[in-house]
Amino acid sequence: MLKTVSKYILSTVIFLLPAFACPAVPTAPSPQRLVNDFAGIFSPEQTAVLENTLVAFDDSTSNQITVVTVTDLEGYSASEYATRIGLEWKVGSEKFDNGLVLLIKPKTEDSGGQVAISVGYGLEGTIPDAYAKRIIDNELIPHFRQNDYFGGTVAACDVLMKLASGEISEPRSRDDDDAGGVLAFFLFLIFVIIVAAVAAGSNKGNNNGRRGGRGRYDDGDIASAIIIGNLLGGSRGGHSSWGGSGSFGGGFGGFGGGSFGGGGASGSW
Amino acid sequence: MKKGTLITVTVIAVIVLALFFWVKNSYNGLVKADEQVKSAWSQVENVYQRRADLIPNLVATVKGYADHESETLESVVEARSKATRISIDPENLDPDRIAEFQEAQGELSQALGRLIMLQENYPDLKANQNFRDLQAQLEGTENRISTERMKFNETARSYNTMVRSFPKNIIASMFGFDTKGYFEASEGAETAPKVEF
Repeated sequence: MLKTVSKYILSTVIFLLPAFACPAVPTAPSPQRLVNDFAGIFSPEQTAVLENTLVAFDDSTSNQITVVTVTDLEGYSASEYATRIGLEWKVGSEKFDNGLVLLIKPKTEDSGGQVAISVGYGLEGTIPDAYAKRIIDNELIPHFRQNDYFGGTVAACDVLMKLASGEISEPRSRDDDDAGGVLAFFLFLIFVIIVAAVAAGSNKGNNNGRRGGRGRYDDGDIASAIIIGNLLGGSRGGHSSWGGSGSFGGGFGGFGGGSFGGGGASGSW
Repeated sequence: MKKGTLITVTVIAVIVLALFFWVKNSYNGLVKADEQVKSAWSQVENVYQRRADLIPNLVATVKGYADHESETLESVVEARSKATRISIDPENLDPDRIAEFQEAQGELSQALGRLIMLQENYPDLKANQNFRDLQAQLEGTENRISTERMKFNETARSYNTMVRSFPKNIIASMFGFDTKGYFEASEGAETAPKVEF
């Protein structure tokens, strides 16, 4: 009997070994934040500007874009690493799976630069792999080649935010015919946000039970003003979101439980 | 004497009841874990199917630029039809079947890798936007495949641990819960087409 038991224990232990063999991605920082510059390529001011903008974007649209820089990919491919960070940290809301990971491994003297965008399940329709690839080729790598990590990240986040919030979409190639689906998705998303904002506004004193710890909209009117502003300003192409984000204050409320399926793209320079 | 019988009966009843609840909970736990493995498997099949669906378009695009590379093109088409022929009954995810599935998909990965490499000899193909988009989609799909495989392995691992560890293994063997197979990690890394610009 004892022999059988110890055999089972042994086989279980052997069985579990592979689980510990694989290297781990960095654990989510505490307190949680959206800009995680582990490689130290941004100045403190640049980090603050990025963080404020991304937190404001999270507050107003619930899409969570996290920027992560690392010095080592631990043997993973860049896309795989980005996806694992997304899964591990649970970027995005649980309801929409609308997280995005922008992973940058800067170029050093003895290793090439790599970049990956990993897109949460919920954003795969709006940011298909080909778009992610174009953002990498057109926005990120040209800047990164000149060592302008901040400029590239800002340019990419700008496009990603527009795509994610549905303000614009990139020119489509001939064989793409899912424009209607994307539009419908956004109309639905905007509708849901409006409903949520109205609901939040109508029972102000009663929002303690909300899950997920996103930045609180204490004021439903501000939230709906932003949404209406977004709706009306749909055709406007300005970079309205950069810099003027002080009014939100609050800080990042934490990652919300989103999941990733591995969509996105990667590139190297 | 009568009192002693009553105590014995009570004790037996308690034991039987406890045993019943233990079996019930173990069994239901196994069923739940089994369902999770099946749903993880269906995600794996989905992403492989996604890749198979990309191939006709990719082959047609490459053909437009590299028509006389018929050997490479045909090997992709052949590997694709071979890989899509192998489908696994989710009720029966044993290691042999998963290995067979993985081998067929691995051959397709290699054929695709050669197809993608053709762009080095055909600059027009390399510059074609449609081809670049398809390549980005293929790259994203490969990453989806490795993600879903990882998720499947994790789910299967926790199921297998449950099935094999004492004392649940008694219930598992009683009701015929078999261990599930895994995807081998190294194989994917070797054969995934290298997509570079």
